[in-house]
Amino acid sequence: MIPAQPAAAPGQGLGAPAGAAPLVALRGAAIGYGGLALLPGIDLAVAPGDFLAIVGPNGGGKTTLLRTLLGSLPVVSGRREQARPVRIGYVPQRDQVDAIWPLTAGEVVLMGRAHAIGPLRRPGPADRAAAAAALRRVGIEELSGRFYGELSGGQRQRTLIARALAAEPELLAVDEPTNGMDPAAELSTMDVLRDLHGGNGGLAVVMVSHRLDAVANYARALAFVDKEKRLFQVGPLAEMLRPEALSALYGRAVTVREEGGRRYVHPVAGGGAP
Amino acid sequence: MSWLDDFLAAREIWQVPLAASVIAGALLGFLGVYVVLRRTVFVSAALTQIATVGLVAGLFMEEHVHAEAEHAHHQLAIAMGFAVAGALALGALRSRRLPAEAIVGAAWVAASAAVVLGVSRLVHAAHDLGGMVFGNAVAVPVEELWIIAGVAVLCAVVHVAFAKEIAFVSFDPETARALGVRVWLWDAAFSFTIGLAIPAAARALGALPVFAFLTLPASAALLLRLRFRAAILVAAAFGVVAAAAGYVISWFGETPTGATMVAVAVLFLVPGAFRRVARG
Repeated sequence: MIPAQPAAAPGQGLGAPAGAAPLVALRGAAIGYGGLALLPGIDLAVAPGDFLAIVGPNGGGKTTLLRTLLGSLPVVSGRREQARPVRIGYVPQRDQVDAIWPLTAGEVVLMGRAHAIGPLRRPGPADRAAAAAALRRVGIEELSGRFYGELSGGQRQRTLIARALAAEPELLAVDEPTNGMDPAAELSTMDVLRDLHGGNGGLAVVMVSHRLDAVANYARALAFVDKEKRLFQVGPLAEMLRPEALSALYGRAVTVREEGGRRYVHPVAGGGAP
Repeated sequence: MSWLDDFLAAREIWQVPLAASVIAGALLGFLGVYVVLRRTVFVSAALTQIATVGLVAGLFMEEHVHAEAEHAHHQLAIAMGFAVAGALALGALRSRRLPAEAIVGAAWVAASAAVVLGVSRLVHAAHDLGGMVFGNAVAVPVEELWIIAGVAVLCAVVHVAFAKEIAFVSFDPETARALGVRVWLWDAAFSFTIGLAIPAAARALGALPVFAFLTLPASAALLLRLRFRAAILVAAAFGVVAAAAGYVISWFGETPTGATMVAVAVLFLVPGAFRRVARG
């Protein structure tokens, strides 16, 4: 196993202002399901202002790591630390949300307020205003009355991001937001995430993706996860985007080049294991 | 109009079954929207089979420890208890790795096997298990009308009070969990209502109308592309109309009551189906 690399000194996040207390952290944690450890030895802290991308192959344990970080899944061993209640916005994989439900985009977004509203109470004007503001922030206010199932993939993704924003989160967790999107929709979705991160003074973003190209121009830190190789590495983007580090993750030669101010990450055709 | 006079004169015969059918139509109609959207339409088959397991267990206890299980009220209580437990278990077993219908199918086949095995251990094997679980919409005892009315009121209260929570955890349990919503609690609330409603309605009306009212009115409403809340209200209304019209038609046409209700409920699918075809 490649040794786990702490993101930063304990108690700090990645790219966060110095001294910022982490929102959530895993300390010596093993992640998995049903008490079965898929990947041990994880040290990871997310602080306000972080933009962390969790990357790795399909089925490598990225979503398991995200769910464990959020507390949806318990750690198999080790600790999950959260010093205080943290408002979390969660954007699931689009294909996990069943589009046959006859809910409008506005109704879906309002669900993000469910926990704030509490049981036995109806959404009030403040909740509706928060939902409308969230739709406006992702640029789809005019789609509020349209059925979620009738939206394009990119519009659905923005709806789910808006729902996460309606919770007024301190930590935005996004699972494979660009899956199945054409390049234009992918860029557009990533721009939305960048704007939310940059324009909200401290909104931490944790994003799962198997598309390195999609995250190489946006994230400030990367975590590599592959349970088959027992691999977990985390660090600042510049350090993690080195070809040798990427080759260890993907098991074949990988090149990184910059062109027109953008980074491009490609496996080398015919390139075997380094 | 002598036919109408005759019908009204016979209200002592039909008023209780008709009222029970209408209440069951409304109750199962609105619950059906969730059942269809959660992709668990065979849940009524699974839960009535689990209820039958309970009755077999009751008969077994009666034979071996002389516990009372012959009375209809005891049987219904056992059936409802097992169905609620079964519904809660099915809700708790919702899995990321298995489709919901696979879990419902597994529950049905496991319960069916348990019934066969249980019956084989009964000394008096001639019990009419089907008659204990499934009634007949033609003749409904007044006690069962009150039971289904009480169940309907309880289910309506739960679903009105906790509408947004039940809808959220049904629609997207993963996100609800991540936001700190207690998914197990609201799933259990929904399962509780299904577990009460299905055996109560099955005991009054029979298996066929229950399955039909749980799927057809909801499917018809959803085909009309209504919004969620409107679909619930329209599905309940379709259930009421199908039950009432089916009962009256069966009275005058002397056709099997349950099957006639189902046939009327099927008709509600037609406008939505045409709309789908017209839209391509």
